[in-house]
Amino acid sequence: MSEGKSKTSTGNPPLMSSCVMAGFPSPAEQYVEQALDLNELLVKHPAGTFFVRTSGDSMLQAGIMSGDILVVDRALDAADGSIVIAAVDGEFTVKYLRKRDNELQLVAANPRYKPITFADGNELQLFGVVTAAIHQFVQQGK
Amino acid sequence: MFALVDCNNFYVSCERVFDLSLVNKPVAILSNNDGCVISRSGELKTLGIKMGVPYFQLKPLIKAHGIEIRSSNYELYGDLSKRVMTVLGDFSPDVEPYSIDEAFLSLSLPDGAGYFAYGQQIRRRIMKWVGIPVGVGIAPTRTLAKIANHIAKKLPEGVFVMPEDNTALLAQLPVEDVWGIGHRLADKLNRLGINTAGQLKLQDDAFIRRQFNVCVARTVIELNGTPALEMDSIGEPSKSISCSRSFGHPVIDLRDLTEAVAVYTSTAATKLRKENQKAAGANVYFQYYPEYGNQALEGGITGTTVIFDFPTGDTGTMLKKIAAVLPGIFIEGRRYKKAGVVFYGLESAAAVQQDIFSYAEASRRDKLYEAVDKINKQFGRKALFQLAEGVLRPWAMKRDHLSPNYTTDWTQIPEVK
Repeated sequence: MSEGKSKTSTGNPPLMSSCVMAGFPSPAEQYVEQALDLNELLVKHPAGTFFVRTSGDSMLQAGIMSGDILVVDRALDAADGSIVIAAVDGEFTVKYLRKRDNELQLVAANPRYKPITFADGNELQLFGVVTAAIHQFVQQGK
Repeated sequence: MFALVDCNNFYVSCERVFDLSLVNKPVAILSNNDGCVISRSGELKTLGIKMGVPYFQLKPLIKAHGIEIRSSNYELYGDLSKRVMTVLGDFSPDVEPYSIDEAFLSLSLPDGAGYFAYGQQIRRRIMKWVGIPVGVGIAPTRTLAKIANHIAKKLPEGVFVMPEDNTALLAQLPVEDVWGIGHRLADKLNRLGINTAGQLKLQDDAFIRRQFNVCVARTVIELNGTPALEMDSIGEPSKSISCSRSFGHPVIDLRDLTEAVAVYTSTAATKLRKENQKAAGANVYFQYYPEYGNQALEGGITGTTVIFDFPTGDTGTMLKKIAAVLPGIFIEGRRYKKAGVVFYGLESAAAVQQDIFSYAEASRRDKLYEAVDKINKQFGRKALFQLAEGVLRPWAMKRDHLSPNYTTDWTQIPEVK
Protein backbone atom coordinates (compact mmCIF):
# COMPACT_ATOMS: atom_id res chain seq x y z
CA MET A 1 0.00 0.00 0.00
CA SER A 2 1.38 3.36 -0.90
CA GLU A 3 1.73 5.71 1.99
CA GLY A 4 -0.70 8.60 1.59
CA LYS A 5 0.96 11.94 1.45
CA SER A 6 -0.10 15.35 2.35
CA LYS A 7 1.86 18.51 2.11
CA THR A 8 1.09 21.91 3.42
CA SER A 9 1.67 25.06 1.48
CA THR A 10 4.18 26.58 3.80
CA GLY A 11 5.15 23.62 5.91
CA ASN A 12 5.13 25.86 8.94
CA PRO A 13 6.08 24.08 12.10
CA PRO A 14 3.31 24.15 14.67
CA LEU A 15 3.02 27.11 16.94
CA MET A 16 4.97 26.78 20.13
CA SER A 17 3.05 25.85 23.18
CA SER A 18 4.13 24.64 26.52
CA CYS A 19 2.47 22.08 28.65
CA VAL A 20 3.24 22.27 32.33
CA MET A 21 2.51 19.02 34.06
CA ALA A 22 2.72 20.20 37.64
CA GLY A 23 4.14 22.92 39.85
CA PHE A 24 4.51 26.52 38.82
CA PRO A 25 3.90 27.75 35.32
CA SER A 26 7.02 28.53 33.38
CA PRO A 27 7.91 32.21 33.85
CA ALA A 28 8.81 32.36 30.16
CA GLU A 29 5.49 31.00 28.98
CA GLN A 30 3.81 34.28 28.30
CA TYR A 31 6.80 35.48 26.28
CA VAL A 32 6.90 32.51 23.97
CA GLU A 33 5.10 33.38 20.79
CA GLN A 34 6.19 31.55 17.71
CA ALA A 35 9.20 29.52 16.66
CA LEU A 36 11.44 31.08 14.06
CA ASP A 37 10.33 29.85 10.72
CA LEU A 38 12.87 29.16 7.99
CA ASN A 39 10.14 29.52 5.39
CA GLU A 40 9.63 33.08 6.52
CA LEU A 41 13.33 33.72 6.01
CA LEU A 42 13.83 31.91 2.72
CA VAL A 43 10.48 31.91 0.93
CA LYS A 44 8.94 35.27 0.07
CA HIS A 45 6.46 33.95 -2.51
CA PRO A 46 5.31 30.46 -1.46
CA ALA A 47 3.11 30.00 -4.54
CA GLY A 48 6.03 30.76 -6.86
CA THR A 49 8.91 29.17 -4.99
CA PHE A 50 10.40 25.80 -5.91
CA PHE A 51 13.39 23.83 -4.69
CA VAL A 52 15.99 22.16 -6.89
CA ARG A 53 19.16 20.21 -6.15
CA THR A 54 22.47 21.07 -7.80
CA SER A 55 24.79 18.62 -9.41
CA GLY A 56 28.23 19.70 -10.57
CA ASP A 57 30.71 22.47 -9.81
CA SER A 58 29.87 25.16 -12.36
CA MET A 59 28.83 27.66 -9.67
CA LEU A 60 31.50 26.78 -7.13
CA GLN A 61 32.89 30.32 -6.82
CA ALA A 62 29.42 31.66 -6.19
CA GLY A 63 29.29 29.42 -3.11
CA ILE A 64 27.04 26.80 -4.67
CA MET A 65 28.35 23.29 -4.22
CA SER A 66 27.23 20.06 -5.75
CA GLY A 67 24.30 18.64 -3.79
CA ASP A 68 23.14 21.99 -2.42
CA ILE A 69 19.43 22.73 -2.44
CA LEU A 70 18.56 25.99 -4.17
CA VAL A 71 15.56 28.15 -3.39
CA VAL A 72 14.13 29.32 -6.70
CA ASP A 73 11.68 32.22 -6.76
CA ARG A 74 9.77 32.44 -10.03
CA ALA A 75 7.99 35.60 -8.92
CA LEU A 76 11.18 37.65 -9.19
CA ASP A 77 12.40 39.27 -12.39
CA ALA A 78 15.89 38.23 -13.37
CA ALA A 79 18.33 41.12 -13.56
CA ASP A 80 21.91 41.42 -14.76
CA GLY A 81 23.94 39.47 -12.21
CA SER A 82 21.06 37.33 -10.91
CA ILE A 83 21.74 33.66 -10.37
CA VAL A 84 19.09 31.92 -12.43
CA ILE A 85 17.81 28.50 -13.36
CA ALA A 86 17.54 28.25 -17.13
CA ALA A 87 16.63 25.57 -19.63
CA VAL A 88 19.52 24.83 -21.97
CA ASP A 89 19.49 21.92 -24.42
CA GLY A 90 16.66 20.20 -22.57
CA GLU A 91 18.31 20.45 -19.16
CA PHE A 92 18.02 22.81 -16.23
CA THR A 93 21.17 24.67 -15.42
CA VAL A 94 22.15 27.21 -12.75
CA LYS A 95 24.27 30.16 -13.89
CA TYR A 96 24.77 33.89 -13.55
CA LEU A 97 22.63 35.91 -15.95
CA ARG A 98 24.49 38.68 -17.77
CA LYS A 99 22.54 41.23 -19.75
CA ARG A 100 24.43 43.07 -22.47
CA ASP A 101 23.05 45.51 -25.04
CA ASN A 102 21.19 43.01 -27.15
CA GLU A 103 22.32 39.67 -25.88
CA LEU A 104 21.96 37.52 -22.82
CA GLN A 105 24.64 35.33 -21.36
CA LEU A 106 24.66 32.48 -18.91
CA VAL A 107 27.97 32.60 -17.08
CA ALA A 108 29.36 29.96 -14.75
CA ALA A 109 31.16 30.81 -11.53
CA ASN A 110 33.98 28.53 -12.53
CA PRO A 111 36.59 29.40 -15.22
CA ARG A 112 36.42 25.86 -16.58
CA TYR A 113 32.98 26.55 -18.09
CA LYS A 114 32.45 28.80 -21.10
CA PRO A 115 29.64 31.36 -21.13
CA ILE A 116 26.58 30.50 -23.19
CA THR A 117 25.40 33.40 -25.32
CA PHE A 118 21.86 34.02 -26.51
CA ALA A 119 21.76 36.52 -29.36
CA ASP A 120 17.98 36.69 -29.30
CA GLY A 121 16.46 36.97 -25.84
CA ASN A 122 13.59 34.72 -26.82
CA GLU A 123 15.75 31.65 -26.96
CA LEU A 124 16.65 31.80 -23.31
CA GLN A 125 14.06 30.09 -21.16
CA LEU A 126 14.29 31.07 -17.53
CA PHE A 127 12.77 28.90 -14.82
CA GLY A 128 13.38 31.30 -11.98
CA VAL A 129 15.77 33.33 -9.84
CA VAL A 130 17.88 31.60 -7.21
CA THR A 131 17.55 33.40 -3.89
CA ALA A 132 19.44 31.06 -1.57
CA ALA A 133 21.54 27.93 -1.42
CA ILE A 134 21.04 25.46 1.39
CA HIS A 135 24.21 23.57 2.20
CA GLN A 136 23.70 20.90 4.79
CA PHE A 137 26.63 19.54 6.78
CA VAL A 138 24.55 16.92 8.50
CA GLN A 139 21.58 15.43 6.69
CA GLN A 140 18.53 15.89 8.88
CA GLY A 141 16.16 13.16 7.86
CA LYS A 142 15.96 12.73 4.14
CA MET B 1 -18.14 40.65 -12.86
CA PHE B 2 -16.94 37.08 -12.79
CA ALA B 3 -13.76 35.63 -14.22
CA LEU B 4 -13.39 31.95 -14.97
CA VAL B 5 -9.73 31.00 -14.95
CA ASP B 6 -9.13 27.57 -16.43
CA CYS B 7 -5.73 25.91 -16.82
CA ASN B 8 -4.90 24.64 -20.30
CA ASN B 9 -4.41 20.85 -20.50
CA PHE B 10 -3.65 21.08 -16.81
CA TYR B 11 -2.04 17.69 -16.12
CA VAL B 12 0.15 17.92 -19.22
CA SER B 13 1.09 21.50 -18.36
CA CYS B 14 2.13 20.42 -14.84
CA GLU B 15 4.44 17.74 -16.22
CA ARG B 16 5.94 20.22 -18.68
CA VAL B 17 6.95 22.68 -15.97
CA PHE B 18 9.65 20.25 -14.86
CA ASP B 19 10.20 17.84 -17.72
CA LEU B 20 11.72 19.75 -20.62
CA SER B 21 11.63 16.68 -22.86
CA LEU B 22 7.83 16.99 -23.08
CA VAL B 23 7.80 20.43 -24.69
CA ASN B 24 6.34 20.48 -28.23
CA LYS B 25 5.60 16.74 -28.11
CA PRO B 26 2.33 14.84 -28.09
CA VAL B 27 1.77 13.99 -24.42
CA ALA B 28 -0.94 11.79 -22.89
CA ILE B 29 -1.67 11.58 -19.17
CA LEU B 30 -3.38 8.38 -18.05
CA SER B 31 -6.11 8.02 -15.44
CA ASN B 32 -5.86 6.06 -12.18
CA ASN B 33 -4.34 2.64 -12.78
CA ASP B 34 -3.15 3.80 -16.20
CA GLY B 35 -6.61 3.14 -17.60
CA CYS B 36 -7.28 5.77 -20.23
CA VAL B 37 -6.25 9.19 -21.53
CA ILE B 38 -7.44 12.02 -19.25
CA SER B 39 -5.28 14.94 -20.34
CA ARG B 40 -3.82 15.68 -23.77
CA SER B 41 -1.29 18.13 -25.09
CA GLY B 42 -2.27 20.18 -28.14
CA GLU B 43 0.00 17.99 -30.27
CA LEU B 44 -1.87 14.86 -29.15
CA LYS B 45 -5.22 16.47 -29.94
CA THR B 46 -3.92 17.27 -33.41
CA LEU B 47 -3.20 13.56 -33.89
CA GLY B 48 -6.93 13.03 -33.43
CA ILE B 49 -6.64 11.16 -30.14
CA LYS B 50 -9.78 11.63 -28.13
CA MET B 51 -10.29 12.09 -24.43
CA GLY B 52 -10.95 8.79 -22.65
CA VAL B 53 -9.22 6.54 -25.18
CA PRO B 54 -8.07 3.38 -23.34
CA TYR B 55 -4.33 3.06 -22.95
CA PHE B 56 -4.17 -0.25 -24.84
CA GLN B 57 -5.66 1.47 -27.91
CA LEU B 58 -3.04 4.20 -27.71
CA LYS B 59 -0.10 1.81 -27.30
CA PRO B 60 0.31 0.90 -31.02
CA LEU B 61 0.53 4.64 -31.91
CA ILE B 62 3.17 5.60 -29.36
CA LYS B 63 6.25 4.75 -31.39
CA ALA B 64 5.07 6.06 -34.74
CA HIS B 65 4.12 9.48 -33.34
CA GLY B 66 6.67 9.80 -30.55
CA ILE B 67 3.90 10.06 -27.97
CA GLU B 68 4.99 10.58 -24.38
CA ILE B 69 2.95 8.78 -21.72
CA ARG B 70 2.68 9.72 -18.05
CA SER B 71 0.67 8.27 -15.19
CA SER B 72 -1.41 10.72 -13.14
CA ASN B 73 0.91 12.37 -10.64
CA TYR B 74 -1.69 13.73 -8.24
CA GLU B 75 0.92 14.86 -5.75
CA LEU B 76 2.31 17.19 -8.42
CA TYR B 77 -1.04 18.32 -9.86
CA GLY B 78 -2.47 18.95 -6.41
CA ASP B 79 0.50 21.05 -5.40
CA LEU B 80 0.52 23.15 -8.56
CA SER B 81 -3.26 23.57 -8.39
CA LYS B 82 -2.91 24.90 -4.87
CA ARG B 83 -0.28 27.36 -6.09
CA VAL B 84 -2.54 28.55 -8.93
CA MET B 85 -5.39 29.11 -6.47
CA THR B 86 -3.06 30.98 -4.12
CA VAL B 87 -1.99 33.33 -6.90
CA LEU B 88 -5.64 33.90 -7.81
CA GLY B 89 -6.21 34.93 -4.19
CA ASP B 90 -4.06 37.98 -4.93
CA PHE B 91 -6.48 39.10 -7.65
CA SER B 92 -9.81 38.72 -5.93
CA PRO B 93 -11.09 38.57 -2.36
CA ASP B 94 -13.47 35.86 -3.49
CA VAL B 95 -12.06 32.81 -5.25
CA GLU B 96 -14.18 29.72 -5.79
CA PRO B 97 -12.03 26.75 -6.78
CA TYR B 98 -14.41 24.81 -9.01
CA SER B 99 -12.16 21.92 -9.90
CA ILE B 100 -8.48 21.10 -9.66
CA ASP B 101 -7.77 23.31 -12.67
CA GLU B 102 -10.41 26.03 -12.71
CA ALA B 103 -11.78 28.70 -10.43
CA PHE B 104 -14.30 31.52 -10.51
CA LEU B 105 -13.23 34.93 -9.24
CA SER B 106 -15.57 37.77 -8.37
CA LEU B 107 -14.10 40.95 -9.73
CA SER B 108 -15.16 44.48 -9.02
CA LEU B 109 -12.77 46.84 -10.68
CA PRO B 110 -13.39 50.57 -10.51
CA ASP B 111 -15.52 51.90 -13.37
CA GLY B 112 -13.67 52.21 -16.61
CA ALA B 113 -10.88 49.90 -15.47
CA GLY B 114 -9.81 47.42 -18.09
CA TYR B 115 -11.03 43.91 -17.42
CA PHE B 116 -9.09 42.66 -20.42
CA ALA B 117 -5.85 44.03 -19.02
CA TYR B 118 -6.69 42.54 -15.62
CA GLY B 119 -7.28 39.15 -17.22
CA GLN B 120 -3.93 39.39 -18.92
CA GLN B 121 -2.26 40.22 -15.63
CA ILE B 122 -3.79 37.11 -14.06
CA ARG B 123 -2.65 35.01 -16.97
CA ARG B 124 0.89 36.38 -16.98
CA ARG B 125 1.29 36.03 -13.23
CA ILE B 126 0.21 32.37 -13.17
CA MET B 127 2.51 31.61 -16.10
CA LYS B 128 5.44 33.35 -14.49
CA TRP B 129 5.00 32.13 -10.91
CA VAL B 130 3.74 28.60 -11.48
CA GLY B 131 4.49 27.94 -15.16
CA ILE B 132 0.93 26.96 -16.07
CA PRO B 133 -0.85 28.49 -19.10
CA VAL B 134 -4.45 29.52 -18.40
CA GLY B 135 -7.41 30.96 -20.25
CA VAL B 136 -9.45 33.75 -18.66
CA GLY B 137 -13.09 34.46 -19.50
CA ILE B 138 -14.72 37.54 -17.98
CA ALA B 139 -18.45 38.31 -17.95
CA PRO B 140 -21.25 39.58 -15.68
CA THR B 141 -22.34 36.02 -14.70
CA ARG B 142 -20.67 32.66 -14.16
CA THR B 143 -22.56 31.11 -17.07
CA LEU B 144 -21.38 33.84 -19.44
CA ALA B 145 -17.85 33.71 -17.96
CA LYS B 146 -17.77 30.02 -18.81
CA ILE B 147 -18.67 30.83 -22.42
CA ALA B 148 -16.12 33.66 -22.49
CA ASN B 149 -13.51 31.19 -21.27
CA HIS B 150 -14.20 28.78 -24.13
CA ILE B 151 -13.63 31.66 -26.53
CA ALA B 152 -10.53 32.86 -24.66
CA LYS B 153 -8.88 29.46 -25.02
CA LYS B 154 -9.05 29.70 -28.80
CA LEU B 155 -7.46 33.15 -28.85
CA PRO B 156 -3.70 33.71 -28.82
CA GLU B 157 -4.11 36.32 -26.08
CA GLY B 158 -5.94 33.81 -23.88
CA VAL B 159 -8.33 36.39 -22.43
CA PHE B 160 -11.84 37.25 -23.52
CA VAL B 161 -14.22 39.76 -22.00
CA MET B 162 -17.86 39.15 -22.96
CA PRO B 163 -19.06 42.24 -24.86
CA GLU B 164 -22.24 43.94 -23.69
CA ASP B 165 -23.96 43.01 -26.93
CA ASN B 166 -23.39 39.29 -27.17
CA THR B 167 -26.28 38.51 -29.54
CA ALA B 168 -24.14 37.37 -32.46
CA LEU B 169 -21.89 35.40 -30.20
CA LEU B 170 -24.63 33.47 -28.44
CA ALA B 171 -26.43 32.86 -31.72
CA GLN B 172 -23.48 30.73 -32.82
CA LEU B 173 -23.25 28.71 -29.63
CA PRO B 174 -25.11 25.36 -29.60
CA VAL B 175 -27.34 25.16 -26.54
CA GLU B 176 -25.64 21.98 -25.27
CA ASP B 177 -22.41 23.97 -24.87
CA VAL B 178 -24.04 26.19 -22.26
CA TRP B 179 -22.84 25.43 -18.75
CA GLY B 180 -25.34 23.25 -16.89
CA ILE B 181 -27.24 22.17 -20.00
CA GLY B 182 -26.51 18.48 -20.38
CA HIS B 183 -27.29 16.28 -23.36
CA ARG B 184 -30.72 15.31 -22.12
CA LEU B 185 -31.79 18.90 -21.51
CA ALA B 186 -30.33 19.92 -24.86
CA ASP B 187 -32.39 17.23 -26.61
CA LYS B 188 -35.57 18.50 -25.04
CA LEU B 189 -34.68 22.11 -25.84
CA ASN B 190 -33.94 21.15 -29.43
CA ARG B 191 -37.33 19.50 -29.74
CA LEU B 192 -38.86 22.79 -28.64
CA GLY B 193 -36.90 24.55 -31.37
CA ILE B 194 -34.32 26.03 -29.01
CA ASN B 195 -30.97 25.22 -30.60
CA THR B 196 -28.63 28.01 -29.62
CA ALA B 197 -27.63 29.87 -26.48
CA GLY B 198 -29.05 32.98 -28.15
CA GLN B 199 -32.48 31.37 -28.46
CA LEU B 200 -32.38 30.07 -24.89
CA LYS B 201 -31.59 33.58 -23.67
CA LEU B 202 -34.83 34.91 -25.18
CA GLN B 203 -37.12 32.35 -23.53
CA ASP B 204 -39.89 33.40 -21.20
CA ASP B 205 -39.10 32.64 -17.57
CA ALA B 206 -42.49 31.11 -16.75
CA PHE B 207 -42.36 28.93 -19.85
CA ILE B 208 -38.94 27.56 -18.88
CA ARG B 209 -40.02 26.93 -15.29
CA ARG B 210 -43.06 25.06 -16.57
CA GLN B 211 -41.19 23.00 -19.13
CA PHE B 212 -37.99 22.42 -17.20
CA ASN B 213 -36.94 23.46 -13.71
CA VAL B 214 -35.60 26.32 -11.70
CA CYS B 215 -32.01 25.48 -12.66
CA VAL B 216 -32.64 26.01 -16.36
CA ALA B 217 -34.58 29.17 -15.50
CA ARG B 218 -31.54 30.43 -13.61
CA THR B 219 -29.36 29.66 -16.60
CA VAL B 220 -31.64 31.85 -18.73
CA ILE B 221 -31.36 34.66 -16.21
CA GLU B 222 -27.58 34.27 -16.22
CA LEU B 223 -27.46 34.36 -20.03
CA ASN B 224 -29.24 37.70 -19.74
CA GLY B 225 -26.47 39.05 -17.57
CA THR B 226 -27.92 38.75 -14.06
CA PRO B 227 -26.10 36.46 -11.63
CA ALA B 228 -28.50 33.75 -10.42
CA LEU B 229 -26.31 30.76 -9.64
CA GLU B 230 -24.67 29.84 -6.39
CA MET B 231 -21.76 27.46 -6.62
CA ASP B 232 -23.60 24.68 -4.83
CA SER B 233 -26.69 24.80 -7.00
CA ILE B 234 -24.77 23.69 -10.05
CA GLY B 235 -25.46 20.07 -10.63
CA GLU B 236 -23.27 19.44 -13.62
CA PRO B 237 -21.19 16.29 -13.53
CA SER B 238 -17.74 17.76 -13.64
CA LYS B 239 -14.15 16.71 -14.02
CA SER B 240 -13.88 17.36 -10.36
CA ILE B 241 -16.40 17.52 -7.57
CA SER B 242 -16.22 20.23 -4.98
CA CYS B 243 -18.00 21.97 -2.17
CA SER B 244 -17.06 25.38 -0.85
CA ARG B 245 -19.00 27.92 1.14
CA SER B 246 -18.47 31.21 2.88
CA PHE B 247 -19.05 31.26 6.61
CA GLY B 248 -21.82 33.28 8.20
CA HIS B 249 -19.24 35.18 10.25
CA PRO B 250 -15.44 35.11 10.45
CA VAL B 251 -14.16 31.84 11.90
CA ILE B 252 -11.01 31.87 14.02
CA ASP B 253 -10.99 28.44 15.58
CA LEU B 254 -9.36 25.38 14.04
CA ARG B 255 -12.05 23.14 15.51
CA ASP B 256 -14.79 25.10 13.73
CA LEU B 257 -12.85 25.03 10.49
CA THR B 258 -12.32 21.30 10.80
CA GLU B 259 -16.02 20.84 11.36
CA ALA B 260 -16.87 22.96 8.33
CA VAL B 261 -14.42 21.04 6.18
CA ALA B 262 -15.98 17.79 7.42
CA VAL B 263 -19.43 18.99 6.36
CA TYR B 264 -18.18 20.07 2.93
CA THR B 265 -16.25 16.84 2.48
CA SER B 266 -19.34 14.88 3.33
CA THR B 267 -21.48 16.94 0.93
CA ALA B 268 -18.98 16.56 -1.88
CA ALA B 269 -18.53 12.85 -1.14
CA THR B 270 -22.28 12.37 -1.39
CA LYS B 271 -22.19 14.02 -4.83
CA LEU B 272 -19.31 11.75 -5.71
CA ARG B 273 -21.18 8.58 -4.79
CA LYS B 274 -24.31 9.80 -6.50
CA GLU B 275 -22.34 9.99 -9.72
CA ASN B 276 -20.83 6.57 -9.00
CA GLN B 277 -17.36 7.98 -8.77
CA LYS B 278 -14.34 7.64 -6.58
CA ALA B 279 -11.67 10.26 -5.93
CA ALA B 280 -7.90 9.79 -5.76
CA GLY B 281 -7.40 12.86 -3.61
CA ALA B 282 -8.62 16.26 -2.51
CA ASN B 283 -7.44 19.81 -2.29
CA VAL B 284 -8.60 21.66 0.79
CA TYR B 285 -8.67 25.46 0.94
CA PHE B 286 -9.10 28.13 3.55
CA GLN B 287 -9.72 31.69 2.50
CA TYR B 288 -9.00 34.40 5.05
CA TYR B 289 -9.60 38.09 5.54
CA PRO B 290 -6.91 40.73 5.45
CA GLU B 291 -5.94 42.14 8.84
CA TYR B 292 -5.43 45.81 9.53
CA GLY B 293 -4.14 45.60 13.11
CA ASN B 294 -0.67 46.49 14.40
CA GLN B 295 0.66 44.10 11.83
CA ALA B 296 -1.16 44.51 8.54
CA LEU B 297 -1.63 41.15 6.82
CA GLU B 298 -2.95 40.53 3.37
CA GLY B 299 -5.95 38.33 2.81
CA GLY B 300 -5.56 35.27 0.70
CA ILE B 301 -5.92 31.58 0.24
CA THR B 302 -4.02 28.75 1.78
CA GLY B 303 -4.45 25.15 0.85
CA THR B 304 -3.14 21.66 1.04
CA THR B 305 -3.24 18.51 -1.01
CA VAL B 306 -4.38 15.17 0.31
CA ILE B 307 -3.80 11.91 -1.53
CA PHE B 308 -5.99 9.02 -0.42
CA ASP B 309 -4.35 5.62 -0.11
CA PHE B 310 -6.61 4.46 -2.93
CA PRO B 311 -9.44 6.04 -4.93
CA THR B 312 -12.37 6.15 -2.55
CA GLY B 313 -15.89 7.43 -2.07
CA ASP B 314 -15.90 6.69 1.64
CA THR B 315 -16.43 9.87 3.66
CA GLY B 316 -14.87 8.37 6.78
CA THR B 317 -11.67 7.35 5.02
CA MET B 318 -11.42 10.79 3.46
CA LEU B 319 -12.03 12.67 6.68
CA LYS B 320 -9.36 10.77 8.54
CA LYS B 321 -6.80 11.92 5.96
CA ILE B 322 -8.15 15.44 5.58
CA ALA B 323 -8.55 16.27 9.27
CA ALA B 324 -4.94 15.27 9.86
CA VAL B 325 -3.52 17.93 7.53
CA LEU B 326 -5.67 20.91 8.52
CA PRO B 327 -3.50 22.00 11.47
CA GLY B 328 -0.65 22.40 8.96
CA ILE B 329 -2.44 25.12 7.01
CA PHE B 330 -4.19 26.79 9.91
CA ILE B 331 -2.61 29.97 11.21
CA GLU B 332 -3.64 31.22 14.61
CA GLY B 333 -4.93 34.78 14.58
CA ARG B 334 -6.32 34.71 11.07
CA ARG B 335 -10.01 35.28 10.50
CA TYR B 336 -11.28 32.79 7.98
CA LYS B 337 -14.12 33.60 5.60
CA LYS B 338 -14.49 30.44 3.59
CA ALA B 339 -13.42 26.83 3.23
CA GLY B 340 -13.60 24.45 0.34
CA VAL B 341 -12.91 20.87 -0.66
CA VAL B 342 -12.19 19.88 -4.25
CA PHE B 343 -11.88 16.22 -5.18
CA TYR B 344 -9.79 15.17 -8.12
CA GLY B 345 -8.58 12.08 -9.86
CA LEU B 346 -12.15 10.95 -10.37
CA GLU B 347 -12.95 7.59 -11.83
CA SER B 348 -16.01 5.48 -12.16
CA ALA B 349 -16.57 3.34 -9.07
CA ALA B 350 -17.24 0.38 -11.34
CA ALA B 351 -13.72 0.67 -12.73
CA VAL B 352 -12.06 0.16 -9.37
CA GLN B 353 -11.12 -3.47 -9.22
CA GLN B 354 -11.44 -4.16 -5.52
CA ASP B 355 -14.95 -2.83 -5.22
CA ILE B 356 -16.22 -5.45 -2.82
CA PHE B 357 -13.83 -4.11 -0.23
CA SER B 358 -14.09 -0.39 -0.66
CA TYR B 359 -17.86 -0.37 -1.05
CA ALA B 360 -18.29 -2.29 2.13
CA GLU B 361 -19.67 -0.31 5.00
CA ALA B 362 -19.03 -1.55 8.50
CA SER B 363 -21.82 -4.10 8.49
CA ARG B 364 -20.97 -5.36 5.06
CA ARG B 365 -17.34 -5.67 6.07
CA ASP B 366 -18.39 -8.03 8.82
CA LYS B 367 -20.14 -10.20 6.27
CA LEU B 368 -17.09 -10.03 4.08
CA TYR B 369 -14.86 -11.29 6.82
CA GLU B 370 -17.27 -14.13 7.45
CA ALA B 371 -16.70 -15.08 3.85
CA VAL B 372 -12.95 -14.76 4.31
CA ASP B 373 -13.12 -17.15 7.21
CA LYS B 374 -15.07 -19.62 5.13
CA ILE B 375 -12.47 -19.48 2.40
CA ASN B 376 -9.81 -19.99 4.99
CA LYS B 377 -11.55 -23.07 6.30
CA GLN B 378 -11.77 -24.50 2.83
CA PHE B 379 -8.31 -23.66 1.49
CA GLY B 380 -6.18 -23.59 4.59
CA ARG B 381 -4.47 -20.99 6.69
CA LYS B 382 -2.17 -19.70 4.01
CA ALA B 383 -5.11 -18.66 1.88
CA LEU B 384 -6.41 -16.38 4.60
CA PHE B 385 -3.02 -14.81 5.05
CA GLN B 386 -2.64 -14.11 1.35
CA LEU B 387 -6.08 -12.67 1.09
CA ALA B 388 -5.47 -10.42 4.05
CA GLU B 389 -2.29 -9.13 2.47
CA GLY B 390 -4.07 -8.76 -0.82
CA VAL B 391 -6.74 -6.53 0.63
CA LEU B 392 -4.34 -3.63 0.40
CA ARG B 393 -2.27 -4.47 -2.62
CA PRO B 394 -4.80 -4.07 -5.42
CA TRP B 395 -5.82 -0.74 -3.95
CA ALA B 396 -2.44 0.77 -4.61
CA MET B 397 -2.76 2.55 -7.89
CA LYS B 398 -0.88 1.27 -10.86
CA ARG B 399 1.25 4.14 -12.10
CA ASP B 400 3.93 2.70 -14.32
CA HIS B 401 4.77 5.99 -16.03
CA LEU B 402 4.84 8.20 -12.98
CA SER B 403 6.99 11.34 -13.02
CA PRO B 404 8.88 12.39 -9.87
CA ASN B 405 7.10 14.31 -7.11
CA TYR B 406 9.11 17.41 -8.00
CA THR B 407 7.43 19.67 -5.47
CA THR B 408 6.37 17.44 -2.59
CA ASP B 409 9.29 15.13 -1.82
CA TRP B 410 12.81 16.35 -0.97
CA THR B 411 14.35 13.28 -2.56
CA GLN B 412 12.61 13.94 -5.87
CA ILE B 413 13.15 17.66 -6.46
CA PRO B 414 14.49 18.54 -9.92
CA GLU B 415 18.22 18.40 -10.56
CA VAL B 416 20.11 21.35 -12.08
CA LYS B 417 23.62 21.33 -13.47
